[in-house]
Amino acid sequence: MVTAAPEKSNKQEPSGAPNASRILLAKIGLDGHDRGVKVLARSFRDAGIEVIYTGLWQTCEATMFAALQEDVDVIGVSLLSAAHMTVMPELLRLREELGLTHVPLVLGGIVPKADYPKLIDMGIAAVFNPGSSVDNIITTISELTKKRRLIVATDDVVQRFADGDARALAQVITAIQCDAPIEGWSPPKGSANVVGITGAPGVGKSSFIGKLGATLRSRGRRVAVVAIDPSSPITGGALLGDRLRMMRGTPDDAFFIRSLSTAGTSGGLAPHCADVVRAMSGFGFDDILVETVGAGQADVLVAKLVDRTLLLLMPESGDSIQFSKAGIMEIADGFVLNKCDLPGADATEAQLRGALSDDRTVWKVSAVRDLGIDAVADWVAAS
Amino acid sequence: MSVKPSIDPPASSGDGDVRKPFVGPEDLGSFDASKSLGEPGAFPYARGPHRTMYTSRLWTMRQFAGFGSAEDTNERFKYLLANGQHGLSTAFDLPTLMGRDSDDPLALGEVGRCGVAVASLADMRRLFDGIDLGSVSTSMTINAPAAILLAFYIAVAEEQGVASDKLRGTLQNDILKEFHAQNEYVFPPGPSVQLVVDTIEYCTKHLPQWNTVSVSGYHIREAGANAAEELAFTLADGMAYVQHSIDRGLDVDAFAPRLSFFFDVHNDFFEEIAKLRAARRIWAHTMRDRFGAKNERSWLLRMHCQTAGVTLTEQQPMNNVVRVAYQAMAGVLGGTQSLHTNSMDETLALPSEQAAKLALRTQQVLACETNVTQTVDPLAGSYFVEKMTNEIEAKAYAIIDQIDAMGGVLQAVDRGFFRRRIAESAHATQRSIDAGDTEIVGVNAFVDEEASGGVDILQITQQTEDMQTARLKELKATREKARHATSLDRLRQDAEDGANVMPALIEAAKAGATVGEMMETMKSVFGSYDGGPEW
Repeated sequence: MVTAAPEKSNKQEPSGAPNASRILLAKIGLDGHDRGVKVLARSFRDAGIEVIYTGLWQTCEATMFAALQEDVDVIGVSLLSAAHMTVMPELLRLREELGLTHVPLVLGGIVPKADYPKLIDMGIAAVFNPGSSVDNIITTISELTKKRRLIVATDDVVQRFADGDARALAQVITAIQCDAPIEGWSPPKGSANVVGITGAPGVGKSSFIGKLGATLRSRGRRVAVVAIDPSSPITGGALLGDRLRMMRGTPDDAFFIRSLSTAGTSGGLAPHCADVVRAMSGFGFDDILVETVGAGQADVLVAKLVDRTLLLLMPESGDSIQFSKAGIMEIADGFVLNKCDLPGADATEAQLRGALSDDRTVWKVSAVRDLGIDAVADWVAAS
Repeated sequence: MSVKPSIDPPASSGDGDVRKPFVGPEDLGSFDASKSLGEPGAFPYARGPHRTMYTSRLWTMRQFAGFGSAEDTNERFKYLLANGQHGLSTAFDLPTLMGRDSDDPLALGEVGRCGVAVASLADMRRLFDGIDLGSVSTSMTINAPAAILLAFYIAVAEEQGVASDKLRGTLQNDILKEFHAQNEYVFPPGPSVQLVVDTIEYCTKHLPQWNTVSVSGYHIREAGANAAEELAFTLADGMAYVQHSIDRGLDVDAFAPRLSFFFDVHNDFFEEIAKLRAARRIWAHTMRDRFGAKNERSWLLRMHCQTAGVTLTEQQPMNNVVRVAYQAMAGVLGGTQSLHTNSMDETLALPSEQAAKLALRTQQVLACETNVTQTVDPLAGSYFVEKMTNEIEAKAYAIIDQIDAMGGVLQAVDRGFFRRRIAESAHATQRSIDAGDTEIVGVNAFVDEEASGGVDILQITQQTEDMQTARLKELKATREKARHATSLDRLRQDAEDGANVMPALIEAAKAGATVGEMMETMKSVFGSYDGGPEW
């Protein structure tokens, strides 16, 4: 492992910084070797870090956009494809373009020793290889995150927020999460449709939200997503992996995804979630989709935060029917039967309609096959 | 330099079993050699698929190679053939493996890097220029777009005047392990398996000498699974292909003899041997008793093995030569039909020529000098090896039962069962290494800061990408537009109708359609897949 000489930090440590630092882990290009990145993701979680994993097959551009929206402390890139001398300069260029030069970029993978000095010289903060011990990697990452902590008040964030700079929104969300609101400022009042999306694990909430968001975007609507995953009650770390099912294709300023952890709270929501939604609405989004952890009964809390709630189910899923008995049936405004291409879809639909005593809508969709999403988008967009 | 004062023997295997200091007959229970082992070349084939094994014919030393443009690899193929090799083994680059053309934005920096770039029939023609496809056997390591590459191969053979029933070779064509481990999937699991069945059905009728699927545990193990999981997941995948082919209406004995397997050989010497012996026994019973196969050749599990790339260390890279040698011997004592030995520099870069040659020499020393080839299955009857074989077999059956209880492999994929188990095992392994419970020489034992480096690295140029992009542009400008469009329409129609897409793919290949275009056409019908549950 090689690290760059520490830069002198000119940023001051804000009070009330979040306990958990955030790292974005990305695989870029077509290389599917993800053992290393997944082992690290779990190890970071165990070390109390929030990990946003963007999954396979990302472009450089999508990776940097994700780093901006997630307001991470470090960006970690895994490359076993021998493409590092092409990919890393491109990432550095985009990092500068998006105003993220203060976020350290680290690389792990199969990298010939001769390339190490070249990478460090071009601005990569650290290079890890298959022989790097996890403890050393965690120590290096922790030192890098200490150097990089958000500064909201001194960074003209209010003006940039008003100018529609997505980076400012990302920073404001971090401030809200840290319980360190910007003094004397609150976001302007917005008019977004806020829709909660809940359902048992495995019904495909994230993929569905990805397709629903893309459909709304294709109609020119500005869409924000809050994706919530549980944190480890012991370490406070978290694996935030929903984003990888949502972002596909060309990154887009008006499709803003933010992954949050429950940060030790129960109820299937993140702390200050209402304030996060308010900030997104004030920033000017038309539709805000809030995805809960799908842990069951506690997810009814989402209904208090949003205008309308959708419950996702899938065919022949005893679990989701069971789940639906736990109070959510009453509060849901509509039902989405995902994976409708699987056998048993009609039977589950009949069962569901039988359980409803009113005419709330049931949509049959397949997020994977992109079927039936338009009708749900119509409903979301009709405020 | 720090050296530990004493060496503690490893106390447990990878999956947490504590081993006894010695094993005796009481550990074998009701072991009956005639039932559990049989004779070599006879049911249940624990001792090997052939009666005489290496005493009459050595394993095939099959070193996997290929990079750069089709011309580069063609030159390499001709060199190998001139030096007496009869089998070609083709490594494709990442864009080809993912079914994308060389000019795709995601292909940036990856064209021709880890294998040869093949985007069209013209590339395939260049790859085999001057090579008689009627007289060589060609292995193609390709999965999601396997049917397309096979279509190219059939079309090139036709141009050469070679009938398809003369073609010999192997497609890896194992899409299920891509969902579990290697991540080179494109379509959702259901349609992906149907595409594999299309190739099985087509080859059974038209390419009877072609090995249709190489069901692979290698990638599953490399991604982090332990030995029992590798064994169970691989055999479960094999069973899924058999079941889906039977559901298509194929006769099990018509296609099963053309399935083969591909395992990893890791560090735990006896466990790996036990795994390979157990694999044959489980498969023989499954094919005969579960699927009702009558033909003995359907019961035989034939395998290729590769030493475990994941065990190689960047620290003290010369040590890797020793690891590879032990692993290779385990593969041979386990009765493999062919073997690839890794190069010591694979954690640093693609293998250099010198390292690749040393890897091959490692096999040659094993074959010529150690005399392990002089008798079939020399470890049979060892209390320890037979106990381990029984134990890993029982563990594998338990996991296979678990998968069956979920409704089969496709349902288990949908629930993220494989990915979660593999990631958890990988994490457990890493924790064990970090805690020093698993010792790796040069990493957490006998660490020697001065002994790293000193290995020459292969460098690859950037030219292929530009050349491929230019060629695709030319192809798209010069091909006959109407024929091209019609061929893709037919492909879409056949896919929608649920017909076997092989004939349409062969026609599209001839009409100048690219790998990327055919994949996109099928994607419009089959959908695409984002990997399923991750954690």
